[in-house]
Amino acid sequence: MKIVVLGAGQVGAAIVEALHEDHHVTVVDLDAARLQAISYRYDVATVKGNGATRRVLQETGIGEAALMIACTSRDEINLVAATLVKKLSNAQTIVRTSNPEYLEAWQERQIEVDFMVSSELETARAVSQTIGVPAAKQTDVFADGQVQIVEFDVPAAGSGQTTTDAYDRVVSLPLKEATIPADSKVASIIRADRMLVPRGDESILPGDRIIVIGSPDAAREWSRIMARGDQLLDDVVVFGAGATGVEIARVLLDQRIRVRLVESNDERAREVAEELPDARVYCATGVDVDFLERERIGQASAGVFAMREDFKNLYAAMLARVHGIGFTIGIVHEPVSVEVFERAGIDVAVDPRSITAEEIVRFAHDPRIRQLAMLEGDRFEILDITVRETSKLVRTPFKSLPMTGSLIGAIVRDGTAIFPHGGDQLEPGDRAIIFTESRRVAEVEKAL
Amino acid sequence: MRRWVHVEVGASLNLVGALLKYLSLAFFFPIPLAVGYSEPWWYYAAAGAATAAFGWGLERATKGKEHVGIREGFLVVSLTWLLGSAAIALCYLLSGEDQLSRPVDALFEAMSGITTTGSSVVADVSTLDKSLSMWRQFTQWFGGMGIIVLALAVLPRLRVGGRQLMESEAPGPELEALTASIRDTARRLWLLYVALTVILVAILGTFGWTGVDERMGLFNAVAYAFSAMPTGGFGIDPRSLEGYAPASQWVLALFMTIAGANFALLYRAFVRGRPVALVRDEEFRLYLGLLLLASAAITAILWDAGISAGEEAIRQATFQTVSIMTTTGFASTDFNEWLVVAPAAAMLIVALMFPGGSAGSTAGSIKVVRHLVIGRVLRRELDQTMHPEYVAPVRVNRVPLEERTVRAVIAFVLLYVGAFVAGAVLLLLDAHRVDLDLSPFDALAASATTLGNVGPAFGFAGPMGSFEPFSDVSIGIMTVLMWLGRLEIVPVVALLTRAYWRA
Repeated sequence: MKIVVLGAGQVGAAIVEALHEDHHVTVVDLDAARLQAISYRYDVATVKGNGATRRVLQETGIGEAALMIACTSRDEINLVAATLVKKLSNAQTIVRTSNPEYLEAWQERQIEVDFMVSSELETARAVSQTIGVPAAKQTDVFADGQVQIVEFDVPAAGSGQTTTDAYDRVVSLPLKEATIPADSKVASIIRADRMLVPRGDESILPGDRIIVIGSPDAAREWSRIMARGDQLLDDVVVFGAGATGVEIARVLLDQRIRVRLVESNDERAREVAEELPDARVYCATGVDVDFLERERIGQASAGVFAMREDFKNLYAAMLARVHGIGFTIGIVHEPVSVEVFERAGIDVAVDPRSITAEEIVRFAHDPRIRQLAMLEGDRFEILDITVRETSKLVRTPFKSLPMTGSLIGAIVRDGTAIFPHGGDQLEPGDRAIIFTESRRVAEVEKAL
Repeated sequence: MRRWVHVEVGASLNLVGALLKYLSLAFFFPIPLAVGYSEPWWYYAAAGAATAAFGWGLERATKGKEHVGIREGFLVVSLTWLLGSAAIALCYLLSGEDQLSRPVDALFEAMSGITTTGSSVVADVSTLDKSLSMWRQFTQWFGGMGIIVLALAVLPRLRVGGRQLMESEAPGPELEALTASIRDTARRLWLLYVALTVILVAILGTFGWTGVDERMGLFNAVAYAFSAMPTGGFGIDPRSLEGYAPASQWVLALFMTIAGANFALLYRAFVRGRPVALVRDEEFRLYLGLLLLASAAITAILWDAGISAGEEAIRQATFQTVSIMTTTGFASTDFNEWLVVAPAAAMLIVALMFPGGSAGSTAGSIKVVRHLVIGRVLRRELDQTMHPEYVAPVRVNRVPLEERTVRAVIAFVLLYVGAFVAGAVLLLLDAHRVDLDLSPFDALAASATTLGNVGPAFGFAGPMGSFEPFSDVSIGIMTVLMWLGRLEIVPVVALLTRAYWRA
């Protein structure tokens, strides 16, 4: 298929590298030198110009494209380009953003883009995963965030790691016997690219990907269950409060992990302290030995180094190790640094640009598994239906509703989400959030 | 030629003139009442006419401007309140009332009214003319919500630049706009104020009518509502609310509590129907918490000392606590006597003159939110002693405050305490000069009560007493303290600095 890529920076280059062999790729950038470099390396067409203009987009032949990836480092350019593409062609759009608020608006379907990726958030998730608490991949929210639909990768047991009790009470047991967190339901189990309906005798196995409907608290509880027990770290110091550092802190705080942020610029430190009331922010450099000593940084369970320069991160990480910190994660900006960091003994090196590119490429390859929002019209659908007065199911207890291969994940009554149990019943005017097989959509809509 | 004064005095005086001109309308209020009670009414008309003429003259003699700056705002607000008091004082002088026949006393009484202090030089209020007594109550009522706020709501002239003026006048560190327009905000706040006053009159009037409280006639109900809603404190009985039914006292305690809360918050909670806003507001929680804590403490002290017990102990403690902390100044019992029988309770009463009500209320004093900010600053300081690199904004209601705002709060409290101590020392020195029997405790109480716009002090100036024994100089000092306290010191004191007048 034909793919248009906006931006020939590191993310763009990584995407081109992954896609150029199987697809017709056109790259757009303002910088002629970058375009030249990319076209010498890969067999792609290039257009020089501002991708957020109609003229340049038409020049790329966007009309025939199936996919447009806007991955410049400027959010607004990416968004304008995606908006234009929606009007100019039928291509699906992927937008890279560094602003969590755009991402939130997209999740609530207020921005018309097929897929949105934030380098900062993907990096933060990767860090969270490394620390042992996999952050939920939130794919959809309803009722002002009271109902979330999230995905988890179930960690494979037996890879030298012990599991927690909570994990053992959920995984490898028939669902009817498993201890599922309150206010949540397993909506689907994806095993080897097949989606299974989670009936009572089905069980979640290691290596599965599961989709859960539940409250934000339940989603957090699930991520605790999916955590690998022996590595659970609960006191993390993040060095560098740039966009990435802040996003890492935010994701970790969301997992109820204690976070300390160290930032050398006093104005930025203040800004971040205002933004994240739950984190403790310090204005210091990561290489101030007195500071490390005074704040007992060595006793923290992990250090994340997210400052702007790779060599600073490397030195600060080594220093923290000298002070006794157990686990170090470095954020790198040059692809080559990954190897440097790992050779130097940093436990994990995370490259945000390659993670972003991977995420985008994964979507480009197979949007079905990746994104629930994209399931529409396929095998499963999420319906958000208001229950009619005349529905036959009104005021019938849930336990006596007929099994139809669909599942009422939550109901929203007077603006409050309720996660129904067997004894609850539907009332007229409720908003029901239903996860159902596509062929049953008409049936479900009729029944309600 | 070099200009020495960089404040546009002319434009400021012009605006002051315009405000006084409109203020003179207030003098029409007591006229029908005086006619109804067959009392002389000419002096209301004369004082009103004089005020109008003065305002008009000032306006004609100077050149107006579309809007005045922040510097001029300080001058306008300070002068408006001073000259407004003078206008009311003129009315008292013209009335021929013996107890208010000297200019210093009349000015004190006038300032005490519009600043909603409630301290009085009148020894026996029951001998005042009915209309004069109600006029005294009424001055508190229109001073309570603020002269500028009222002007902003009705005067087209203040459409531009009114926000600064209102901020200079409104109690509390920051102004919360309810709607996009400051004029509309001022209107809504006034409407809420009027509505609450009407409700209070209706409840108290019903008590009188149904015999729940024999003494509470319609006249009394209106008089006390005009005093409770602005957290004023003037009464129409020599023994304040002592002789009234417990039901009336409880209702007044409730309305004083309401009057001491942030009106913008009340508006959101009750008019817009979001009562949760009350629970979520940290200042309101602390305000209620302090009231409950102090009431409980005083109840325990009174009960223990055997002064009262049961419902009466709870009522006396709660009423006095609410009255003093909201800076109203009513009394349901002569707490001056506690000095001897329960000194801890008396000490607490003086201490309660400092928290004040909430910002954006009609109450005076330091305001609860400033204590909240200072508490958090202290906690942060302690944290930073151990962790010098720790960075954290001070938050109120989860919203981070600018460091500048925090500094302004600290500076205000220091100024306030400074003015309080200076006032007490000056009162003591003056009492010594004229051989007046004033204990240091009484002097501290008198300074705190006038600066905080509370009302009663201790000793002869206690809740059932009067400020009449003070010398003219002391009366003058306390008039200035009330003026300072109502405008929260800065607008007045800034006028005394060189930096204010120079470029």
